[in-house]
Amino acid sequence: MFNVLRQQARAPLRRAYATQGYVPPAAANNIGQSMIPRFKPRPVSPTFYTGLPSYFENVNTLESAITTSRNILQNLQLLPLPKFARDALPESTPVWKGKDELGFQVETKLTTARYRRLVGLLTQLEEFRKIADTAGCVEVAESIGDVTVLFQRENRDAVLAGGKKKPVQFDKYGRTYTIGRRKESSARVWMIPVQGKSQKPAAAAASSVPSVQAPLPPAAEVNESQNEATSPDLTPFLSPKPLAKTEEPTEVTATNIIINNVPLIKYFPHSLDRERIMRPFRLAGLVGAYNVFAIARGGGTTGQSGAVALGVAKGIVAHAPEVQPLLKKAKLLRRDPRAVERKKTGRRKARKAVRIFFFSSCSASLMLTFY
Amino acid sequence: MLSLASRSLPAGSALASASRNGTVQSVQVRGYAAPKGPAKIQKQGFVNKGKKKKFIQTVDPNKMKRIPAFKPLTANQLKSEIFHEDVKTELQLPVFRPDALTESNALAKVMEFPTQSNLINRFGVPKNLNIEYRILSKSCAVVRDITLTALDKLDAASASSSKDNRVVLTGSSGCGKSVVLLQAAEYCAGRGWIVMYVPRVHHTVDSSTAYIYDSRTRTYLQPRFSWQVLRRFLDVNTTLLQDLKTTKEFPVERKAPVQAGSPLTDLINVGLQDGSLAPSVLSSLMTELSRQKTYPVLLALDNFQALYTRTTRYRDPKFEAIKPYHLSVPRLFLEYASGKKTFARGAVVGALSEGRADFVTPLELCEALGLPFPRPAGPYVRRVPEIVDYSQGLQKLAVPEKLSIDEAASLFDVWNTDKALHSLPDDDLFMSKYSEASGNARAFVWKGLLATLTS
Repeated sequence: MFNVLRQQARAPLRRAYATQGYVPPAAANNIGQSMIPRFKPRPVSPTFYTGLPSYFENVNTLESAITTSRNILQNLQLLPLPKFARDALPESTPVWKGKDELGFQVETKLTTARYRRLVGLLTQLEEFRKIADTAGCVEVAESIGDVTVLFQRENRDAVLAGGKKKPVQFDKYGRTYTIGRRKESSARVWMIPVQGKSQKPAAAAASSVPSVQAPLPPAAEVNESQNEATSPDLTPFLSPKPLAKTEEPTEVTATNIIINNVPLIKYFPHSLDRERIMRPFRLAGLVGAYNVFAIARGGGTTGQSGAVALGVAKGIVAHAPEVQPLLKKAKLLRRDPRAVERKKTGRRKARKAVRIFFFSSCSASLMLTFY
Repeated sequence: MLSLASRSLPAGSALASASRNGTVQSVQVRGYAAPKGPAKIQKQGFVNKGKKKKFIQTVDPNKMKRIPAFKPLTANQLKSEIFHEDVKTELQLPVFRPDALTESNALAKVMEFPTQSNLINRFGVPKNLNIEYRILSKSCAVVRDITLTALDKLDAASASSSKDNRVVLTGSSGCGKSVVLLQAAEYCAGRGWIVMYVPRVHHTVDSSTAYIYDSRTRTYLQPRFSWQVLRRFLDVNTTLLQDLKTTKEFPVERKAPVQAGSPLTDLINVGLQDGSLAPSVLSSLMTELSRQKTYPVLLALDNFQALYTRTTRYRDPKFEAIKPYHLSVPRLFLEYASGKKTFARGAVVGALSEGRADFVTPLELCEALGLPFPRPAGPYVRRVPEIVDYSQGLQKLAVPEKLSIDEAASLFDVWNTDKALHSLPDDDLFMSKYSEASGNARAFVWKGLLATLTS
């Protein structure tokens, strides 16, 4: 009897269902959602089962892109490239996104190794794009480019342009505007080529290249004489030659330097400051070639003269670029980084130490320090 | 002993001959000490030492032994002029004569002042020019455009009264005002003018000379300065003064008066013999010169602005500063400069001195000459009426701030020829110093050429 009870009690646990058995059509109506057998949806990409699905998705995409483009290029017989062709390829300047930005894009926090892997794939892809572009396969290059551009920075052009020094601009009168700094001083320097009395003021293209100049009218005399024998010289046959050739004296011009509306001699009474400003002219051999107008602010005499000298050196290089290696060698184009050293705690000045006196009882409390 | 030794040696050996002559020296040869080979010289020039480069320059020890002992050269061998320090070079310059002063001949040329005029020797020159003429072998100056302009003005002035010809040379410090004034004085002396050149007028107001109150004129007389002026004036203009005669009698205390019609030299000698009479003699002399029309008179005053100072360094018994127009000599100069007294023929030329801190150009003089005054001077700043009065009618003759390149080149040539330059006299030195000086004459010479030691 207990056995039967026990069996009856256990009976609900031992129901046997036919899970995938026959379901009559009428019974199929009015079945709730919970009764329909559910299949697991297929994940979008197989990387779903990896720890970093988005990252590996991107890696796979790039690798497949690399494979595809490699095949294309091999079919076009652009790969493998001989060494001379590879050397002749232009420099590539991709600006890949940084680790954080790329991590945001691939929705994963990138470690250095993972970032490097991505960048390595991108570099390889960029290489293929370059080959295709150089070979003239526009569509291939463009399609690869569409992929790589997603991983490059928005401000790519700005990044490439940055870090390069802007060329000094010439205004309509042929003046350059440069800035020099030294210690606490800054100087704004305008330089203009000196026009001798023989030259006309309309010669505004005052660059150092003499070849690109409009031909001057016959009345104007140029300093560098250009002897042009246009017609045969008949004077030896017609009249006696003069014994001595009268040479036109070369016109000597001077460099006028005005600082804060005061001539150089008045603004800098010390010869050292004046010589410092004159030094770039002397080394370049261009004393008397340019006039200088400068506005100097801040600091003292040495700072201001150093700042003006730097501005002058930059201006000379702008007017006469061939002089640049010479002034660079003389360290005149270098902004002197030396500045006043700060005072430190525990010292009277930057370096001046405090004097410590010890008394014979040798007690720490008796140690006198003089500030 | 020696003969025995020589017999044992081979006949042709040097040692044998040496021993025969008696000059043998024993030479010990140790077989175990190998002779030193030629010393090894390490690689010269820049040598890589890690990242840095080290410059190695060693003297070859092999060569060192071959350098003979130094011996002094004989006088014949010392031909270079560097060794002849005692030989003084003298500049060969054209002389500053009126007939040589045409634009084509003289412009931008350095000309030496003639010694016949005796002007520089007797009157002296301003302090900075004095130093310059001590260094140079000749007293000279470059003839500029402004010089010729000034001389033309003086030529025009020789016929007219000095009231119309009161000129003041102006310009910034070191531009050449004193030199132009000196050239003007020399020119006039060469042209037959009577020249009174006072190169250091500030000595009349800086209490460096004696002063004494005179109740008759109610001014302070300066007997010593007056005496000096008379002495120098007489020395320079003796021949011309002998021709001129006094028109009035000049009374002398306890002595015979100087009669009217006597030569001016007699009048001056009276003042020279008795120093206390010098101020009154000077005054009378100037009066006589202003009346006569035979010769034009030039009164050339350097450091001119000192006359117009508000207070001199002199003190009266109450310890109040004495005004310049209360001192005899400054008053005399002021009267002629202002036109209150005039020369019948002649001119008054003054040169300012801008570099001085003791006597700055006063406001009244700046306004009269149209010069900018460095401090704010609105209508509420007091102008001393007497000084304004004395500065009426002065004409300004501005000396250019810059030397022209030709003029600077002539100066450069002179200093170079006189061996005053320490640096190589190339065009780089010239152009850089000229540009550094912004064309200023004194800065170019003194702060540029003579203050530089460049390679």
